[in-house]
This record gives sequence, structure tokens and C-alpha cells, in this order.
Amino acid sequence: MANPRSPGTESSAPLRVSGGVFTLSILHLESNNPQQLAQRIAEEHQRHPAAADFHRHAPVVLDLSAIPEEAPLALSAILEVLRAANWFPVGLRNAAPGHQALAQDLHLPILRGQDRNAAPQPETPPPTQPVPASPGGLIIDHPIRGGQRSYARGGDLVCLAAVNAGAEIMADGNIHVYGPLRGRALAGVNGQDTARIFCVSLEAELVSVAGLYRTLEPGYPLWGKAAQIYSRDEQLHITALNL
Amino acid sequence: MAKIIVITSGKGGVGKTTTSAAFASGLALRGYRTVVIDFDVGLRNLDLIMGCERRVVYDLINVIQGEAKLQQALIKDKRCENLYVLPTSQTRDKDALTTAGVTAVMDELRKEFDYIVCDSPAGIESGALMALYHADEAIVVTNPEVSSVRDSDRILGILAARSRRAEQGEEPVKEHLLLTRYSPKRVEDGEMLSLEDVKELLRTPLLGVIPESEVILQASNQGIPAIHMENSDVAEAYKDVVARFLGEERPLRFIQPVKVGFFKRLFGG
Ligand SMILES: Nc1ncnc2c1ncn2[C@@H]1O[C@H](COP(=O)(O)OP(=O)(O)OP(=O)(O)O)[C@@H](O)[C@H]1O
Ligand SMILES: [Mg+2]
Repeated sequence: MANPRSPGTESSAPLRVSGGVFTLSILHLESNNPQQLAQRIAEEHQRHPAAADFHRHAPVVLDLSAIPEEAPLALSAILEVLRAANWFPVGLRNAAPGHQALAQDLHLPILRGQDRNAAPQPETPPPTQPVPASPGGLIIDHPIRGGQRSYARGGDLVCLAAVNAGAEIMADGNIHVYGPLRGRALAGVNGQDTARIFCVSLEAELVSVAGLYRTLEPGYPLWGKAAQIYSRDEQLHITALNL
Repeated sequence: MAKIIVITSGKGGVGKTTTSAAFASGLALRGYRTVVIDFDVGLRNLDLIMGCERRVVYDLINVIQGEAKLQQALIKDKRCENLYVLPTSQTRDKDALTTAGVTAVMDELRKEFDYIVCDSPAGIESGALMALYHADEAIVVTNPEVSSVRDSDRILGILAARSRRAEQGEEPVKEHLLLTRYSPKRVEDGEMLSLEDVKELLRTPLLGVIPESEVILQASNQGIPAIHMENSDVAEAYKDVVARFLGEERPLRFIQPVKVGFFKRLFGG
């Protein structure tokens, strides 16, 4: 047959289109200058090398609230900058009508927030929605070795074995480690500051919640103890878990 | 069906080649048709340790590049009936090892042998990846020190991610930990990690412990695999390793410091 069809597929059957809800990163564009954006990303990634990893191949929505309506916008240059930094721009929001037309030329969808106010809005980060544990959740039942990395995108990460020195585990949600935690653990990497890390033996090289981080050394009071790590008032807290 | 076993470590100089020679000899002594392959292109140590360096005419690279037949490159061991050595080249570049070439050699060897033992180079670059790619089982050679343990951990991660078994979603490579150059005295003095420390850090089933011994140096200078050094701790320890690998139970030996007798202490050893 010249045009093979999988069995059971009727040519008259409708296309399957269904709804889905996704968690996406939003980048708030500060200016219309692509070079400045490139420099800002480079600085950020230098300051937080881990951030470069979180953003690698992450879909991102550009928020244009801060770009005045009359400002010229080299949108394709900006997209180039993002792609060069390994981000995947997937849409625009809060774009002025002129800028929306540019996006359409580039086949870039306009997402929620199309009715932008005439004046640029003050910076209002969207409330982070709680990340459902199951869809992006990841359960790992073997040790995570030095040099290995696991990322639970959009959910919680549960590790039932050791996370060894030099390993890195990341989750958009919470992290649970039921073996010794000796590597680096980063929860809430998409900015969810209610995420927490729970571990039965805290021996980590680094812990981080929503970008706040600290390094640890043997001799730390809770070293080798069951602990939880969370963020409150822009501060990272580490407390004993009394199991 | 042949089993492919890689002897690997990440870190250099921990005893991979010593172990490859002893372990392959031990399997052959047990009656298994065994071949041991040197993947350390450019260094060529295995043939020295096996004492067959003067009989090397063709090597693995010649076979891969179609300059020789596999039969021409295989060297029959002079001590064990069932053992062959496939040496590597000292003059060629590492890049001479190609994935397709190694695969073809492995496929051919699988038909002839029960066990194929691959002596990996140090590091985590292409040579080491080639050596572990086809493995069914891995013996991770570790010394009781932090840097060696770290590198072993790294190589265990690579085995789990980049071996053929991992890539094809088959059952994972079976991992064994072999602690070598173990000096119970220095462990007691707190200069080295203990067996317990290493087990706790790596969490990989222990295949054995080989003590630090000057017999190894004598053996390698004479080109005799250590397992043939009669009445030595290391030979006994390697025999235990082979037995355990074959599924036999053997208690761990040579992990306690040797008690020096009163007279020996008084008059010196
Ligand atoms: N149990 C032991 N006791 C004492 N010395 C040992 C022992 N095992 C190995 N050695 C010594 O350690 C050195 C390195 O051994 P070997 O060549 O087997 O290591 P390797 O891991 O193959 O090294 P490379 O990474 O360079 O290939 C040699 O000098 C060897 O004699
Ligand atoms: Mg070697």
C-alpha cells in the first residue's frame, strides 16, 4: 500500500484534539535591546550556574508589559538570543498590538494577557500555582551517582536510595530523599517558593529552594540528621525532622 | 552465551590491569574459555602483566581496521589452557577504536568464549566508554581513598546510563565492587577509608578485597598474573573473587591487620 495506515484508523475519524494545562516559565523582558538581554542572561548564568541548567530547553513565555507600545522591537533577534541560551520561547503575552503583529509573522502564539493596559504595568509576578505531584513527579529507586542529574519537571522528586556526592537532583516541586543526601538538591527550581526538601540524612553539598541556596559542610549542626529545608520570607530555613 | 565483563574504575592506577590479568586467569583455571582484551590503546600494559609481550604480532586495532584476522591477533596464554589475550596497539591513536569495529570483534568473540574480560583505560572518555559499552557485568576497582571512591561512583553512573544495556533498555549491567590495595593497618591508623566506609559510600555489592602487597610488584615484573603467585595473600584473595563471581560463598579474608608477634616486634621483621 502506498499510504499505509495503522489498523483501525478510519480516514473519517476526527483528529484527536484535547485540552491540557502546562506550567511555563515567564521571562519579563526589561528592554527592547537584544544585546542587553544576552548580557543579562550571561550574567545570571554566571552568578548561578545551576540556573543555566534549569533553563536548558525549558519552554518560556516572554512578557512584554515593560516594553512601551511605540518602542521598536527586534523580536527575531530577541528570540535568537533566547535560543542561543538554550531556552525555547513558545509565546508572548502582554504585547502591544504592534508587537503582536510581529509575533504573528514569526508564528509565535500570543498567550493570556492580550488586553494590555495602555501604560506598562507594574511588575506583578503571577501567583505560582501549586505543582501537582503526579504528572511530572519522578520516583527513583536506585542510587544517583556523581555526575548524574535527575530533574522532576513539573512535579516532586522522590529518591528511595542515596544521592551521592557530585550528583544533582532538581524538582519544580518538593524533593524527598530516603537515602543519605550527599549531592546537590534543588527544589522549586521554577520559582515555586513553597517547595521543600525532605531528607533522612542531611549531608548535602548544596540545598536550594526557589533560587535561595546554601552550601553545607560536615560539622553543620543537623549534619547526618533527618531535616527539611524550606523558604520563608526570602530566607532558607533548615530544621530537624523529628520522625 | 558469552558474558562480557568490564574491569573499570574511572581513576587511574588503582589495579584494573592487575585485576584483569588475575581474574581472567582465574576464570580459565576454573575451565572456562576466556579472553582478556586490552582497551588501553597507546599504553599496552596487559601483555606485560600477562608475560606475553614478546609474542604480540597483531593487535585489536589491526583487527578492527581489517589488517589482521581475529585468530591472528589472539595470543594463547602460556599458563592456562583456556585463556587468550587480545593485546592493543602501542603506536596507534585512541581514535582507532571505533564503535562498529569493537562491536564486530565482540560479536565474533562471543561465539568462541565463555567469558570476555575487558581491561578498561582510566578516565571517562571514549576508550573507557568503548570498554564498558558491551558489558553484561562490571567489576569496579576501587582503592580505599576518597578520590578513587568518587571516580568509581561516577563510572557506576555512566554504566547505568551509557552502556549498551542501558541504551537498549535491557536489564542493567550487573555491578560488582572490588576494593584493592587494601591495607588493614593503615585503615586502623585512620589513613585510609575502611571497607565499611567504601561500602556505605558506593552501595554496590562487594565482590572482594585485595590486600596491598609487594607480591603484586614481583608478579608484574615477572609477567605472571598475581593469581599464580603460590601461597600469597593476593593470589588467595583473587581466587576468592573468582569463586564469588561464579556464585560460591567465600568469607572475606585479609581485612584484619596482621598481628605482629612479640619476637618479631622485638627483633624486627
Ligand atoms: N594489591 C596491590 N598491592 C600493591 N600494589 C598494587 C596492587 N594492585 C596494583 N598495584 C600496583 O599499582 C600500580 C597500578 O596497577 P595497575 O596497572 O593494575 O592499575 P590500572 O588501574 O590498570 O592503571 P591504569 O589506570 O594506568 O591502567 C602498579 O604498579 C601495580 O603493581
Ligand atoms: Mg591498566
